[in-house]
Amino acid sequence: MSERAIEIVEVTRRFGAKVAVDGVSLSVNRGEVYGLIGPNGAGKTTTFSMMCGYLRPSSGTLRVMGVDPREDGALKGKIGVLPQDAILPGGWKVGPLLTYWAQLSGVANPEQEARTCLERVGLIEAWGVETHALSHGMAKRTALAQALMGRPPLVLLDEPTAGLDPRIANQVRQVIRDLKDQHTTVVVSSHNLQELEQLCDAAAILDKGRLAQAGTMAELTGQSAEFRVQVARGTVIVPELEALPGVTSARMEGETLLHVRFDGQGHKPEEVISRVVGHLLQTGVLILGVSRGRRLEERVLQLT
Amino acid sequence: MIWSAECRRTLRSARVLALLALYSLFSMLVLLVVGGITRALREQLDMQIAQAGANAAAADQVTAEFRKGFLGFLVGGDQAVMEALSQVPLVVVVVFKATLFFLPLYVAIMGFDQVSGEVGPRSIRYLTVRARRLSLLLGRFLSQATVLLGLVLIIDAGIFVYAWLTTPDFTFGSFTFNLLKFWLAAMVFSLSYLALTTLCSSLFRAPALSLVVNIFVLFGFWLVNLIGGFAEKDSPVAYVRYLSPSHYANGLLHPGLAEFAVSGLAYVFFTLLFLGGAIVILRERDL
Repeated sequence: MSERAIEIVEVTRRFGAKVAVDGVSLSVNRGEVYGLIGPNGAGKTTTFSMMCGYLRPSSGTLRVMGVDPREDGALKGKIGVLPQDAILPGGWKVGPLLTYWAQLSGVANPEQEARTCLERVGLIEAWGVETHALSHGMAKRTALAQALMGRPPLVLLDEPTAGLDPRIANQVRQVIRDLKDQHTTVVVSSHNLQELEQLCDAAAILDKGRLAQAGTMAELTGQSAEFRVQVARGTVIVPELEALPGVTSARMEGETLLHVRFDGQGHKPEEVISRVVGHLLQTGVLILGVSRGRRLEERVLQLT
Repeated sequence: MIWSAECRRTLRSARVLALLALYSLFSMLVLLVVGGITRALREQLDMQIAQAGANAAAADQVTAEFRKGFLGFLVGGDQAVMEALSQVPLVVVVVFKATLFFLPLYVAIMGFDQVSGEVGPRSIRYLTVRARRLSLLLGRFLSQATVLLGLVLIIDAGIFVYAWLTTPDFTFGSFTFNLLKFWLAAMVFSLSYLALTTLCSSLFRAPALSLVVNIFVLFGFWLVNLIGGFAEKDSPVAYVRYLSPSHYANGLLHPGLAEFAVSGLAYVFFTLLFLGGAIVILRERDL
């Protein structure tokens, strides 16, 4: 079995004259939490929809869990999906609806599975509630519950915390962490970069339908090649820092922020950081904190 | 599984009750109008016969001639069909023909959103990752067909019971045989129109647009049938009526096996054509 949960090669999707996704190639390893990042109109949801088989690519190839997602019924039991803006069908109560979907997924004990998944998202009390009577947050959690049913090896979540209050959003993030602990592959499309930075092992940054950059979170944020030191007081002697082993460059960003780049291939980050902090303390500089790499947000803003 | 779940969902909804009420009201209206007209005509005939001083046998003959003429108008003058329907009260035939005419419209109202109603709000996305699109479409079609056939049976049974109570010489044997025959005819007829509705529903995201296009197509079929019917027999235009499902309706009541089979096969062909189109479209379309 392939180690790749998802493989996308040179995929393009056009809507008339508009090119929504333009020659994107990326791959998601099994067991990884993978982020799809980008501003509005970047092509995240289109890419996501092609992964789920909702949209057909204009050109290029996609393989999801080893199958072509456009093949009718090929994804059954292989993926769970939380689609963005998909309304729960009317005329159903939550419990019977999830039980029916679990039956369609071929789950052995559908009602029990529906109850378990509703409990996982903290919504068991909605079992007998009509779908049209659910609040936005409850509908979202119901949709998340259906994505978890049958413990699929790949779960795709499009904007899973959008529009949720902080407490419920945190609950959803915990569900994603649990999936990660169970070695389930998860793809998350989101605008919430802080959330993605916390959750994801790797990510792809899309912009205007093109892939701006893809890689591990460490690669994207430069965690293995740079860090910043928040200076409280004292004078930083930059040339002395640049002379330290492993340091490739050092510069002040404003009056209180020291930015240091280092050779991440030849030197361990902890050694270089300790060396620089030690030198600063020896020269009378007082520091408030050290942060590795850049914020993901900075990287995204730089690329898009 | 999809079929049974959708049947339960439909039967739980208020829509099925509304449709039953609509269909019942319409049938009752036709029944009352036709019953009233028949009674008035009968009274006028009786009066004219009495004025002319004719005896009871002559009166019965005139009535029979009147019935024959009216039946001939309804079934396109086919003697064999007229013969077969001679045991059925005239009011049943008239109401049946009237409901058959409006049945396609009723089917369109009932099922216009069976696919588009799920594609528009994207609810279908929850289903396509756990079931084949083909299964979804067939499940929807069969559940709609089940509910429709149930409704048609209820209405047909109502018409027949009315006729049984008001027509003394309408025997129980004839009642049962003809009820089954009329219901089967309505079933074969309506399945092709239900398939057309499924096709129209698969084409669009907006349910309202599906309904409008469905109604346009229905009017198109009626128009084609009428144009074909009015054209000279030798004219090539006369052949266009074979393109309309409505053209084959009378054959479904034909006592001859060959005529019935031709009509039945024509409806099966239309059903498969429309349903096949819907399947291809749903398989290929973006959701």
